[in-house]
Amino acid sequence: MTAPPDLKDFLSSFLVEAEEHVALANEELLALESAQRKGEHHPRAIRSIFRSLHTLKGLSAMVGIEPIVSIAHRMETFLREFERSGAMVPLGATDTLLKGVQAIAQTIATLSRGEEPAAPPPELVRELDALDWGPGAQGRRAEASLELEPALREKLTDFELVQLAKGVAAGQRALLAEFFPSPEKSAQGLSINAVRERVAKVAEIVRVLPRSVPTSPEAPGGLSFALILLTSTNDALVAEAVGVGPDRLQKLHGELTHEDPTTEAALDTALPLDEEPEAQTMGLRRGIVRVDVNRLDEAMEGLSALIVTRFRLARSVAALAARGVNTRELSDVVADNARQLRDLRAAIVRVRMVPVADVLDRIPLLVRGLQRATNRRVRIELEGGGAELDKSVSERLFPVIVHLVRNAVDHAIESPDERNRRGKPEEGLLRITCGARSNTRLELTVSDDGRGIDRKAVARKAGRPVPEDDAGLLDLLCIPGLSTRDVATTTSGRGMGMEIVKRIVTDELGGELALRTEFGIGTTFTLRVPLTISIVDAFAFECAGQRFVVPVATVDEIIEVDGTQLVKVPAAEDGSVEVEVLLRRGSAIPLVKLARLFRMRAGTPAQKAIVVRRGGAPIAFAVDRMLGQQEVVIRPMNDALIRAPGVSGATDLGDGRPTLVLDLVALSTTFSLPARAQELRP
Amino acid sequence: MTLHVLFVVADVTYALPVENILQMESFMGATRVPGTRDYVIGVATVRGKVVPVIDLRLRFGLPAVPPTLDTRLIVTEVGGRVIALLVDSAREVVPLDPSQNQPAPEMVGERSAGLVRGMHAQGPRLLLLLDLPKVLSERAYDHDPIAFLDDETQHRPALPG
Amino acid sequence: MVDDSKVMRDMIVACLRAIPGTSFVHASSGLEAIERLSLAPFDLMVLDLNMPDVGGVEVLEFVRGQDRLRSLPVLIVTTRGDDESRERVLAAGATGFLAKPFTPDAIIAEARAMLHGGAESVA
Repeated sequence: MTAPPDLKDFLSSFLVEAEEHVALANEELLALESAQRKGEHHPRAIRSIFRSLHTLKGLSAMVGIEPIVSIAHRMETFLREFERSGAMVPLGATDTLLKGVQAIAQTIATLSRGEEPAAPPPELVRELDALDWGPGAQGRRAEASLELEPALREKLTDFELVQLAKGVAAGQRALLAEFFPSPEKSAQGLSINAVRERVAKVAEIVRVLPRSVPTSPEAPGGLSFALILLTSTNDALVAEAVGVGPDRLQKLHGELTHEDPTTEAALDTALPLDEEPEAQTMGLRRGIVRVDVNRLDEAMEGLSALIVTRFRLARSVAALAARGVNTRELSDVVADNARQLRDLRAAIVRVRMVPVADVLDRIPLLVRGLQRATNRRVRIELEGGGAELDKSVSERLFPVIVHLVRNAVDHAIESPDERNRRGKPEEGLLRITCGARSNTRLELTVSDDGRGIDRKAVARKAGRPVPEDDAGLLDLLCIPGLSTRDVATTTSGRGMGMEIVKRIVTDELGGELALRTEFGIGTTFTLRVPLTISIVDAFAFECAGQRFVVPVATVDEIIEVDGTQLVKVPAAEDGSVEVEVLLRRGSAIPLVKLARLFRMRAGTPAQKAIVVRRGGAPIAFAVDRMLGQQEVVIRPMNDALIRAPGVSGATDLGDGRPTLVLDLVALSTTFSLPARAQELRP
Repeated sequence: MTLHVLFVVADVTYALPVENILQMESFMGATRVPGTRDYVIGVATVRGKVVPVIDLRLRFGLPAVPPTLDTRLIVTEVGGRVIALLVDSAREVVPLDPSQNQPAPEMVGERSAGLVRGMHAQGPRLLLLLDLPKVLSERAYDHDPIAFLDDETQHRPALPG
Repeated sequence: MVDDSKVMRDMIVACLRAIPGTSFVHASSGLEAIERLSLAPFDLMVLDLNMPDVGGVEVLEFVRGQDRLRSLPVLIVTTRGDDESRERVLAAGATGFLAKPFTPDAIIAEARAMLHGGAESVA
């Protein structure tokens, strides 16, 4: 029998899930706060936050993270009272709860870095303990009429009855749809989860109630799920989502008086209450699997290894063919394999795509904090989270957006008084939009209606002439070390970030940055970035004084070039190149000087050779020296003028100049080797 | 009247309409790409993009000269292609009246034939209107584009069949 | 194995694999659990109480209300630790009760007791 597992091994998966719960709790707390400002009840948010904290508490207890358990426990205890009583959470409490979630988020971040988390700060603990759950006002209720079987009605909570009533009063239709699970339906992927997801797209699901029914051909499991819905879409679409005919939907009308909350079935007062499912808020239910980017990179590495193995396989097949074996079928298989590997690689690349919303969703919380710190009032408008981009682009973009947002709230948007004086609404507007510009580029704008950028002030600070246009102004702003503030502000420091913004957007991502600003009116930053970037692991090397890189996946091995092991084979009359032959481990590898191939003046004698396989046979390229291995972003070089065999793109190794990315395998197909070299044996 | 940028290559002044020009940059060097035409002196990073650089002197069949402080890169865009032109200097932007254009004269140097689409007299000086699409096309060279010439043996390797 | 947290499900399954002959079916919601139970036989259900749509107690009640499932062993796993909920849960029909955090050995022991050592299909 195997030994029981160490639950600490689950730490990294735990961190991933915990982050999701933290994000959800933040979202719901913000929603709660905004409802509180309007004097409205928001029990669904309270329930959701409670559940997230409850789950976090249990999980962290299992994995042994005491600081989170301690904070989560206090917060959930507080919220439980409010769930139970149905009272409104006082406004100040939300602030404390947000701090609690922030503390949990920090602990998660600490753990992600591999460090030991600190105990929660005592002031926070005191603040959480001091949360007062005095009775708040009851929310307003609306009257409406619903016709429901007593058995079903009993099971609905007060909040759900109110929700139905409100929906009907607002003009939606309340429907009851029944779904009968069966093995056939399961096999087709029509499970209750799938049905819920589909229905959520066309209706609001108030509740799903399981019911025992007599076993029948239609209900082989003796089970049916009653879905209670509110919708404005037509019946046919709803019925289709459930997988039944439209005639099977039941309308709910008639009178309903909802009960006094205190007489509600108190079955689970000590236990968490039920909640109606809402597909849009819970990322955990979208059928999405969260994957650690490291795992994706591992998958890519595994794939690269497969590709190298494929080369070896091709070589073996070639060797067999050389011996006269009929390898037609085997070659077909190898070709299929190559194609499948290419498809697999494309699939893994696709998996790296994440929605832009992931980045945008974090903005409201950030702005909330900034508003407090700077005493500004800011309204946010976010548009267009539907686009998807490569995870690494998304990760690089986030700090850029954070910086632009900080600048906007801190520097650009004026104080409410000043805005009043200028005839602007007291609340500043921060607008972030995002849309796919073409099918390879994404355009993101961050605009504010603040005071605009003062070109003269910037020019003065930079000691340069006043720029004539916004492009020139942008260049000035991105000068390293420039700051238009003499004193560091609490939130954005000395404003040195623009240089970094530019570097990330243009150099790292290969995108564009543009600025439009009008003094007194507002500023808009526009970023255009590619949706995907090609990032590969590459060896950097030097040849004839120039630096190049070659993707690791294409390299068979790197060997020392020792003068004594070389045999020179002159170029033959057939136009082949001159090569030397390297004798190694019982085989002869043709060695071509890269510098010669590229018509460059070789300075130092070559010391290393990079071996690739061309059609299974090895061929070595001699270079001066290897410079190490690193991840590079490949930028395409597509123009006909610079299309050259063996050059697959360019990258930036950090010096701002393009460094060519070589495809040595392709290069090796552009010349032929003297026949003598191929025959040579030790 | 359309605005044109005036630039100088080997003491001759040329003009290009502003609408084809993305920006002007100082020349910081280019990374040579082996296996390209001799007048493509390499690629450079301009505002984050990797663009080819054409040395107009070489393109016109003239010998290259070392860059000076006045040397400029004119980053042009035509039909979606972004390509930088290396010129001796580029200092003026002037409005020109298209109705005053005249047909191209005989040119010195065979390679620049067909690269100028007309000329324009501006006061005492003569401006040549560059034919940008022609300059950027690859057809001017009839050699096979992929040629690895081995200096020492003068052999040309066989191309893949 | 019913819990809306994938990490939790993975941890428990990792623990229970120590029992030879076990196979596992995952459900991430109470509704999914009820659905699965109606379509195939199981020897044990490990059930979390804190779930979004249909809570563990409702699942338990539904299960006990079905003739076919009345004697299905159900091990409740919950975050609370006090005796009050323990009694409530056992009164509602749970066969066993474990509060988080629990050790791998604890859950293996409970599961073993409920499975009578036979070959197992765990929901």
